[in-house]
Amino acid sequence: MSSGEHIGELAELYAIGALGESERRDVERHVAGCTACGQRLGEAEDDVAAMEAARLQRDPPEQLQRRVRAMLHRPAGQWSRYAPAVAAALILGLLPSAFFWEQNRTMHAAMEADSAAIGRVASTPHRSVAFSQMSDGSAASVMYGPDGSWYVVLVRGASRALSVAWMHDGQRTMLGTATPHGDVAMLYLPKSHRMNQLALMDGDRVVAQAQLAY
Amino acid sequence: MIEPGGVDDPLADGFAAREPWAFEEAYRRFGPLLYSTAYNVLGNAEDAADCVHDALARVWRSSNAYTKARGAVRSFLTVCVRNEAISRTRSQARRTRLSERLAAEPQEYEELGAGDPIERDRLRAALSRLPPEQSEPLRLAYFQGKTHTEIAAELETPLGTIKSRIAQGLRKLGAALRDGEGPRRYE
Repeated sequence: MSSGEHIGELAELYAIGALGESERRDVERHVAGCTACGQRLGEAEDDVAAMEAARLQRDPPEQLQRRVRAMLHRPAGQWSRYAPAVAAALILGLLPSAFFWEQNRTMHAAMEADSAAIGRVASTPHRSVAFSQMSDGSAASVMYGPDGSWYVVLVRGASRALSVAWMHDGQRTMLGTATPHGDVAMLYLPKSHRMNQLALMDGDRVVAQAQLAY
Repeated sequence: MIEPGGVDDPLADGFAAREPWAFEEAYRRFGPLLYSTAYNVLGNAEDAADCVHDALARVWRSSNAYTKARGAVRSFLTVCVRNEAISRTRSQARRTRLSERLAAEPQEYEELGAGDPIERDRLRAALSRLPPEQSEPLRLAYFQGKTHTEIAAELETPLGTIKSRIAQGLRKLGAALRDGEGPRRYE
């Protein structure tokens, strides 16, 4: 589909799910500004919804309604509230590590990771989602690239190091450890795939989880 | 009469304006349909719930995903959830399991004991009335989540022909499900 061209039969292909990801995005971009194509797509969507309604209907789990409600009422830009604390913590953490880096290679590596994380967050679009509440009062969130190419896990009020795990297909893959600098712990994770569920772990115990959307 | 979730419903205004109450109301009204749509593609409860949540979150965070020109919120969300579910099945890890499950789809479809049996029979009848050259690509897209390029390769038919047959088939099916209205026609 070239720029400015109406979507035509791509409307029906979109509605039935027969388009690849990139064609789907092209259709979405076009209909956002084209009323005629929006109407045609809406009619194709009516047809698919009628087909779905004619199939077996199941009640969703009650927990899903709570998750949807929590998502809707989560304050926008939640991460921005953490920014001053994180910035202060990073300054406090990075300056000493710069001074002692020759003596402490581990700390220097952490500093580089922190710098990379700051660079990512500052220079690229990103999303942010909160982890579930932790019993010790600390609050955690994860910022991540919309394409799943990087993640920054932050724990505010951290009193100890927490492991970060990717929960998938009934398995748990350990990704690294968020170690406190001041009262903020951070872990930067450059990755090549989208992770939908992350967990914070204290030893073998899951203390918080986050659902990531793309 | 105002169709629930239709373009004249106040819900559509609230939804277009991304009002939290409208999203909550949409979930309250259409939650079972959305969840069932995801479940029909993914085949398990946990993935279906995640899929509905993530699809709603994507719409919620997008400033221009829904406009009233698009029509019924119910239909819009159903397709959003279905496309999200199909994206997930296309990831390599789930592909094998999906194929195995979908291989059993005709049997499961025949054995459906819940839902609206009249609607179900109408869908089955409408599908069976389509000419094979339209019903076959439509079934591959709808039940197996295949892309039009995959279907064209599988049926050894030009891509443009497959696109047209899927589009025509869907319009006829929709017309049959809308009580015998003629299919909408587009030049």
